Amino acid sequence: MSLTDADLVARVLLDDDHHAFSELVRRHQSAVRGLLRNLTRADVALADDLAQETFLKAYKNIRSFRGEAKFSTWLYRIAYNSYREDARRRKELVGIDETQLEAEQNPQTVNPALRQDLMYALRLLPLHERTAVLLCCQHGLTHEEAARVLDIPLGTVKTNVLRGREKLKHSLAAWQHN
Amino acid sequence: MDGQLQEDWLDAKLRDELPYIDDDGFTSRVSQQLPVRRGSSKARAAILLSFTVIAAVLAYVVAGGGSFVMDVVGWFAVKPLAALYLITIACGLLVTGLAVFFALSRSRKLRS
Repeated sequence: MSLTDADLVARVLLDDDHHAFSELVRRHQSAVRGLLRNLTRADVALADDLAQETFLKAYKNIRSFRGEAKFSTWLYRIAYNSYREDARRRKELVGIDETQLEAEQNPQTVNPALRQDLMYALRLLPLHERTAVLLCCQHGLTHEEAARVLDIPLGTVKTNVLRGREKLKHSLAAWQHN
Repeated sequence: MDGQLQEDWLDAKLRDELPYIDDDGFTSRVSQQLPVRRGSSKARAAILLSFTVIAAVLAYVVAGGGSFVMDVVGWFAVKPLAALYLITIACGLLVTGLAVFFALSRSRKLRS
């Protein structure tokens, strides 16, 4: 019988069990690294550095994990915050990104072949819509869980997912009918 | 209906774009960077128990080799039976209350 995430967290809390925490890392590394790769627009090295930072922060702060949400949701929140901190450090946070993205979204500057690529279309979304779509549609979080990860109101998450989806559908309309 | 189909298609495509990422040494790199663990809780419990036993023995010796036990027994012996019942119930309630309190705080800690 395999242990649940809650069992492993309890072992870490009681005995500082490194093996239990390693098992948690093994279970969630793919999802966390996948999310960060999408957030960093496929910068694999940066995404893995941030993923590593995420798990180390999770270990150091595991006592603050309340168990109200799933462990994965809590990890996504740390990962997202790590990404934002890093982006802020690199002066790439939303406001600056948006200008660049709007330029990229100009149909004349976008390679028509790439426009049909889902991941490319996803990268064109503003950060808040991209993250909401990734969490809810790709990682299967509920709107409530995504709101907790992003620390924004539920209604805002729903709006961001809706808008993000609309833009994706619009970008991929031709591809969809193939 | 068409909108729902589009959403399903989009979700399916997004999930397809999230392949499993091989661990490829990632977990061991994280494990190597974990802070050095504190002493195990068993070791801490053993140390605590040892100090408790030493303190109890010291208290026994300092208190005249247990003569205080005879004094307390004598004190109880002259009390009316009703008072003894009350003291027993009060002690029982106190111990139960403390046990419940520690059990609840422990389970809350595990749940969080």
